[in-house]
Order: sequence, then structure tokens, then C-alpha cells
Amino acid sequence: MLTTLEKKIIASIQTDIPITERPFLEMAEKIGVSEEKYLEILENLCAKGAIRRFGATIRHQKSGFNANAMVAWQVEEDRIDTVGQIMASFEAVSHCYRRDPKGDWPYNLYTMVHAKDKASCLETVRKMAGKAHITAYKPLFSRRELKKTSMEYFFTDNES
Amino acid sequence: MPQIDDTDRIILNRIQSDFPIASRPYEIIADDIGLTENEVIKRLAKLKKSGIIRKIGGSFVPEKLGYISTLCAAKAPEHCIDEFAAVVNRYTGVTHNYLRDNSFNVWFTFIARSMAEIEANLKKISEETGVTNILNLPATRIFKINAHFNL
Repeated sequence: MLTTLEKKIIASIQTDIPITERPFLEMAEKIGVSEEKYLEILENLCAKGAIRRFGATIRHQKSGFNANAMVAWQVEEDRIDTVGQIMASFEAVSHCYRRDPKGDWPYNLYTMVHAKDKASCLETVRKMAGKAHITAYKPLFSRRELKKTSMEYFFTDNES
Repeated sequence: MPQIDDTDRIILNRIQSDFPIASRPYEIIADDIGLTENEVIKRLAKLKKSGIIRKIGGSFVPEKLGYISTLCAAKAPEHCIDEFAAVVNRYTGVTHNYLRDNSFNVWFTFIARSMAEIEANLKKISEETGVTNILNLPATRIFKINAHFNL
């Protein structure tokens, strides 16, 4: 599915690229390919969708988005498409997924909602509920971050 | 919140989703917004140092790399949250883990080679911690993923 070189390049951009004039040259040298080849493969990985996004990741808490809530919504299945799209249309929503309900947990739609503080986050959530006509939902504010890292793909990969 | 000015904001909005894949990416950004390459590099180094930029790199679609991902929610007793989190966090596939206000209080994402591997690891976590109520909630449909923050 992916070539050894593609995996090496993916592994190399999981962490930071340097903030220097020729960042990709440094990355390419580390894995022993030309800068040109490195850029070509990187471009291709983006084009075929393996890389969703290449660029900077912002610590949103440090840039003024201090509150975030994961909101679990209970939506009638026959309205899930409509509601999912309504929720996704809010700018404050970064992620919106459908998941199967499980056991005594009846929720089937999940959104990440970001705002400058808890009050405005809840206000957005109420607007979302109103617009989508959903009454059963739970905003789950994070009380503490227990871990936040990036996945290390192909870190312990012996198949290549 | 560390101080950022309008120029920082322009640079940050640009490099979150439109980072040039080119030999001299910072020069391209500089040309587009009317700065010198050196100034862009200096500003980015500062934004990195102050922690506003977490990283400059790739975000991947696990499924396209031969992985699968899921969201898990566990009911951990209040007095042993840290012990439970320590066991869960040992797995490199657990990338995000948050304590949330609910009886399902520990919410973490899990990435692995297969759902069978995740199920097996959740079972091991339950055996080791005694926390048996862990929901495995894989996404069945994605309506939006957008980690771009307009500053």
C-alpha cells in the first residue's frame, strides 16, 4: 500500500519540521533522499489523501480558545445526515462524527466545540441544539488534559 | 495568552492549512504577505518557543496508512483516575486523553493496526485496572474535521 520511502517520509513529518531556510532539505538528508524526491513524495501523499493536512498545529488554549467541550448528541437516526451537516456548519465546531450508541450510552453524534470561555461555549451549544432541534445532549467539558501527543505511525514497523 | 500581533495572525492563519511544500517554504510565505524570509523565520521561531505553535508537520488519515482509530470512554472511580490514566497512557496509540465531567469520565482516542488489537488492549486495561466499563465508540461517519483556528 505504501512504499518504504513513503513510510519513512511520513515518520519524518510526524514531529516538527525545522524553522530554517531549507527545512525539507534537512529532513531529506536525514533519510538519505534528495530534497526534490522528498518534496515530490510529500506532495503526492497529500494529493492521495494520506496526509489530511500539512502545516502548523496551534495550541488553541494559548491562542484565545480557552474552553472546549465535546458534546454528545442523541439524534433520531433518520435525521442524522441533516443534523450532522447543521452541526458541521458551525464555525466553532472543529470535529463532527457519528458513532454507534452503546449499552446505556444513547448518544450517536459527537461535536468538538471551541470558544473563548465556558459560557460562550455553552451558548454556541444551545444555538446548535436550537437550530438542529435536539433536546437530548451532554456537553462534556474537559476538566484536565491527561495526555496529548501525535501518533507515531510506523514507529515499530518491521514490515518494510 | 502570549502577545501576538496582526502579522503573527496572518502568518498563523496561512501556515495552518496552506503550508508550501517547496524548497524554501518560508520565502514563499514571506513573498505572499510582504515580509522578508528572515522575518517570517524569526516570528515563527518565537511563536514556536512561546508554545502557540505546537508543531509544524503532517496530520494523517489513519485508515489510509493501514491503521484504524476510535474514541473510548471509561468509568474510572474518582480516587484512582491518575492510576487508570497512567495505564491507558502507556499505549502509544492513545494520543489524546481527557478527564471530563460525566460518569464516563476518562475519554481517550486509540489508534492501532486493527480493531482486534484495540479490543485486546482494552481488555488488558480492564484486567490491570479493574475498570471494566469502557465504551469503544468508533466513528461510523465523519461530517467534519477541521483543525484550523481562525485567529
